[in-house]
Amino acid sequence: MPFLSQKSYRIRYELDGPANAPAYVLVNGLTQYAELWRAYRDALVARRFRVATFDLLGQGTSDKPTLFINQDDQVAALDLLIRELGKGPIFLSGISFGGLIALRYAIAHGERLSGLVPMSCFAELSPQLQLLGNAMRTGLILGGTGYLQDLLLPMNLSDQSLKPLLDKLDSVKRQGWLINDVYALQNLMESFLDFEPLTPLLPLIHMPTMILNGEFDFLTPRALHETMRVLIPNSSLVIIPKAYHAFTLEKPALTADLLARFAEDVLAGRWQGNKAVWIAPEEAGGELTPFPTGYDHLRAIPAQGISHE
Amino acid sequence: MSEFFGPLDSEGRAPKHQQTRVAAFLISAHGALARQLAFALPPKLESAWQTELNAQVYREAEIVALMMRATSWIPDLALGSMAVSWETAWFPTPIEGIPDRSLAMAAGLATVAHAVHAGIRPAALLPMHANANDPFVMALRRIEFENGRLLQPQILFLKGPELVPFRSIVSSALERRHGEIRKLWGEALEGVGVTISRSD
Repeated sequence: MPFLSQKSYRIRYELDGPANAPAYVLVNGLTQYAELWRAYRDALVARRFRVATFDLLGQGTSDKPTLFINQDDQVAALDLLIRELGKGPIFLSGISFGGLIALRYAIAHGERLSGLVPMSCFAELSPQLQLLGNAMRTGLILGGTGYLQDLLLPMNLSDQSLKPLLDKLDSVKRQGWLINDVYALQNLMESFLDFEPLTPLLPLIHMPTMILNGEFDFLTPRALHETMRVLIPNSSLVIIPKAYHAFTLEKPALTADLLARFAEDVLAGRWQGNKAVWIAPEEAGGELTPFPTGYDHLRAIPAQGISHE
Repeated sequence: MSEFFGPLDSEGRAPKHQQTRVAAFLISAHGALARQLAFALPPKLESAWQTELNAQVYREAEIVALMMRATSWIPDLALGSMAVSWETAWFPTPIEGIPDRSLAMAAGLATVAHAVHAGIRPAALLPMHANANDPFVMALRRIEFENGRLLQPQILFLKGPELVPFRSIVSSALERRHGEIRKLWGEALEGVGVTISRSD
């Protein structure tokens, strides 16, 4: 298990795929760990990408600073990993908290990236998100990691994913509970106490950027992704149908396919962001369709009559 | 070596020698915190935060009583020497570099308490199929759950305004304490066939 050294801390990482191939770097969400990207490693390596995954400071088997975890230190850890990858094309993607770290990296070290994919992400704390974050922190303090998981599972996964898990929730939660420590999660959450919105800095992100947002994501809803679409010059927004905040867990085949296609298009010179809004297919390999003209993509209404009988 | 207690008996209970070792460690650590917090508590409370200190004293004592009663004890000859090293580790030590002696002592105590409450996770040693109705199993879950709350005053104090000028040395002292106590915990468990994966 290789580690990088950042100051006195160790960052656990993993590289898969051919060494000279274009690389995808994947950044975990707040309560996640690198192994959750396993399906992405397999899918992207099969598409001839190199894949780098790692545990952020405070997560998994990376070191867990005891008192403070600064988001700048997370960006520095990510930079160390990206330096390990050499000079070839690098695509960076992260989900939720990891998406925010990816945005920070793109702002600070944009010249190193060929493409960026923020997923279920945010550049600012809306009042709803701020209060939800506060409530999750209080839940963690009062009820521990298990209670936080109890909150996040129904918020972030669909009924279709949850239903088969209902009679084995303890085992589903166990690895996350074992690998996360309350104080480390609290430190990660408290890295937002002095958070300054990234919104004014988003125009500095010049690389091709595909923003992915679940149709039913109510933790980081469409409006938070819209800010990125509007302010990142070479971006497009892709809405994942019937998906919630944690669509990377629910729809790994579809999401990995979208990541691969984005990078292939960028490398082939086909990518055009145009701040367009797209709807992803429901299955990997399907066509993306433009969001229908004349409808407001910030609303949830425009789907045409489908019988639910 | 395993990361969990075992092999469990037919009723899903941890082996007695593992129960004994873990309970002795927890009693030593939480007992030391109870004593030190009790000494720090004035007979008449003068500040609002001391109400929390009062609660902590009784929570720590409760953990000691709980482990004494919930554990299936057997003789453990290694405990004598181990207990000496444990008790030495809990000994009150001021953080070097903080000129105010009482603040340095309080910060030192907070680093020990933080390391015990945050770094020692006894319930994480329970295998998935441990008997949830066994008192030892329930006691470990309860202690780990309470630790998350007991930790909060230490976080508030160590991150608080009084220690802002000493942030770097406080962070270093806390990292060191975590390392020391994790090492002791790892050694205690290793002697009964349990390994903690993240011990340095």
